[in-house]
Amino acid sequence: MPTETNDLQYADVHRDVIRSIVETGPQYYIALGTAFGVTLLCFFFPWSYQLYYGIGAAGMNHPGVWGTYLASFIFWIGLSHSGTLLSCVLHLTHSTWRKAMYRSAEAMTLFSLMVAATFVMVHVGRPWFIHWALPYPNQMEMWPNFRSPLLFDVMAIGTYITGSSIFIYMGSIPDFAAVRDRTTGWRNNMYALLSMGWRGTDREWHRLHWAYTFLAVLIIPLAVSVHSIVSWDFAMSIVPALHQTIFAPYFVVGAIYSGTAGIVTVMFVLRKYMDFGQYITKVHFDNLGKLLLVLSLIWTYINGIELFTGWFSGASSEHEALRYKLFGYYAPLYWEMIAFCAVAPLLCISSRFRTSFVPMLILSIAINIGMYTERFLIVGTSLSRQYLPDAWGVYVPSLVEISIIVGSLALFVTLFLVFVKIVPSVSMYEVKETMDAPKPEPVASPEGSPA
Amino acid sequence: MSNFAVGLFREPQSALAAAGTLKGAGFATPELMSPVPLEGVEEVLGEKKSVIKRFTLFGALIGGISGFVLAAGTSVLFVHPTGGRPIITIPPYLIITYELLILFGILFTVLGFFISARLPAIRDRVYVPEAAVDQFAVSVACDNHEHFKRAESILREAGAEQVRDMAEDD
Repeated sequence: MPTETNDLQYADVHRDVIRSIVETGPQYYIALGTAFGVTLLCFFFPWSYQLYYGIGAAGMNHPGVWGTYLASFIFWIGLSHSGTLLSCVLHLTHSTWRKAMYRSAEAMTLFSLMVAATFVMVHVGRPWFIHWALPYPNQMEMWPNFRSPLLFDVMAIGTYITGSSIFIYMGSIPDFAAVRDRTTGWRNNMYALLSMGWRGTDREWHRLHWAYTFLAVLIIPLAVSVHSIVSWDFAMSIVPALHQTIFAPYFVVGAIYSGTAGIVTVMFVLRKYMDFGQYITKVHFDNLGKLLLVLSLIWTYINGIELFTGWFSGASSEHEALRYKLFGYYAPLYWEMIAFCAVAPLLCISSRFRTSFVPMLILSIAINIGMYTERFLIVGTSLSRQYLPDAWGVYVPSLVEISIIVGSLALFVTLFLVFVKIVPSVSMYEVKETMDAPKPEPVASPEGSPA
Repeated sequence: MSNFAVGLFREPQSALAAAGTLKGAGFATPELMSPVPLEGVEEVLGEKKSVIKRFTLFGALIGGISGFVLAAGTSVLFVHPTGGRPIITIPPYLIITYELLILFGILFTVLGFFISARLPAIRDRVYVPEAAVDQFAVSVACDNHEHFKRAESILREAGAEQVRDMAEDD
C-alpha cells in the first residue's frame, strides 16, 4: 500500500515522535490552559452549583426525567467505540494503515469513557452514593440487583475501561522504552517505570504479539456488548419508541459511526498541530471516509427500520411517538440529524472528497453533532410522549446542563492534550514495521586507496 | 556476573544469520534485540511457545464462574421474589457472567504476558539503546575470554559493525 512514509528511515520516525513529546511550544500551553480553564468554568463550576442547590438546577422534571446528562453519557460511550474496537479489528486483519493512527484512536476511547462515567455521576445528583452500584452488600445485607440493565452497565463499562486502558498500555510498552532511552530526569524515571525494563528481545516481541492478539480477540465482543447494554437501559423500559428489539444493533452501529467520525477529527488535529503529516496521510482519510460511508448507510437503514416497526405495530402510542418525532416540537432536530448523519456522508462517495482534509474534518464534526442530536432525541422525544396525554410534556435543558455539555468537551480535550505529551501518539514500532528495513550504509573508500 | 558478546548490525538479515551461526557453533541460544518484531526468528532460533493462551483460558473460566456465582449466589443470600419469576434468572445473569469472563480473561492475559516475557525486569540486563532506534543486536553469553573472541569473530564475519563486551548481574 503506498504511503507517504516511504522516504522515511527508522531514525526519522524515532526523532519525530519523541520530538512531539519533549518539545513543547507556547501554542500547546495556551491550548492546554484554555481547555483546562473552560473545563473548570463550564464543567466543574456548574456541577458544583448543581451539587449545592440540588438536581433541580438541571431542567429535568416529570415527564422528562432523563435529559442531556444521559444523552451525553450515551454520546461519549458511543464516541469511545471506534477507537479500541477499530484498532482491534484492524490488528486482527493485519491492516497496515491502522498503525499510524491507532494509538490516538485508542486514547480517544479511554478519555471518552472517562467523560461518560463522569456524566453518570452528574446525572445521579448525589455522586457520593455512586458506590451503591458496586457489587457489595450494604448495611442491610442487600446486594445490587443483577437483573437491572443499570448493573449490566456498571459491569460492562468497568470492564471496557479496564480493557481499553490495558490495551493501550500494552501496545505502548516498546515505545515507552524508546522514549526512556532519549530522556533524562523525572521523564526518564517515569518511562523506565512504564516500560518495565523492555529491551526489544525476540522473546519479548513474541509474547507481546500473542498477548496483544488475545486482548484484541477479547475486546471486540466486549465493545459490542457495552453499547448493546447501554441500549437496554432504554429498550427494557416499556416507553413507546424505546421498547424495541432493534435498539442494540442501532446503538452499536451509531456508536461505531460517531467514533469513526471522532477519529477523523482527532487525526486532522494531530496531522495539523502535532506535525504528523508524514504519518497520517490521505490514505488514512480515504479509508476512514469509506468506513463512514458504509456506516452511514447502515445507520440510515436501521433508522428506517425503526420508523417502519413503529408504524407497523399499529399501536396508537407508537404512532403518536412517531408523529411527534417527525413533526412535533423536536422535529427540526430530527431533520437536522437526518441531514448530518444520513445525507451529508453521501459526499464520501467521491474519492476527491475523502482525500480532502478540511472537508472531511467538517463532515466528521457534522456527523457528531447529528449523533449527539440522535441521543438527545432518543431520550427527549420518547419521554415527552408516553401513553397518557396528561403525562405529556416538553423537556428543555437548563443553562447548567448546556454548560456541562460544553465543559465535557473541554474536559476531553484537556485529557487528550495531557496524553499527547506523555504517550507517543503515533506508534513508533508499528510505523517502522510498515517501512523497508534499514540498508547498510555504503562503505566509503579511504582516500587514495582503490575502492 | 555473566559476560556477553553483543554485536550490532544495520540489517535484520545479517543479525538473524549471526544468531543462527552462533547457535550452530554451540553457543547458548543467542538473544536478538530489535526496534521491530523480526520475521524469521523462529526459523533460526527454533519455535517459540508461550503459555499466555493458558492464562487467558484460565482467567476466562475463573471470571465466568465468578460472574455467575456473584449474580446467582447473592440472589440466594437475600431472596427477593419479583412477579413470580425464578430467583436465579439465567438470561440476565449470563450478561454478568459474560462481562466478568472477559474482564478476568484480559487481566490473566496481561499477567501471562508479564510472567512469560520476564517483565518487569528486577535487575539490570544486557541492553543496547541503539536496538530501540534503527539497529539490530545479537547477544550471546560467553564463559571466558576465548569464548568471547570466537563469538566476536562470528559476529564480525556476519557483518556486525560493533561488538561490545557487556556484563550482567546473575
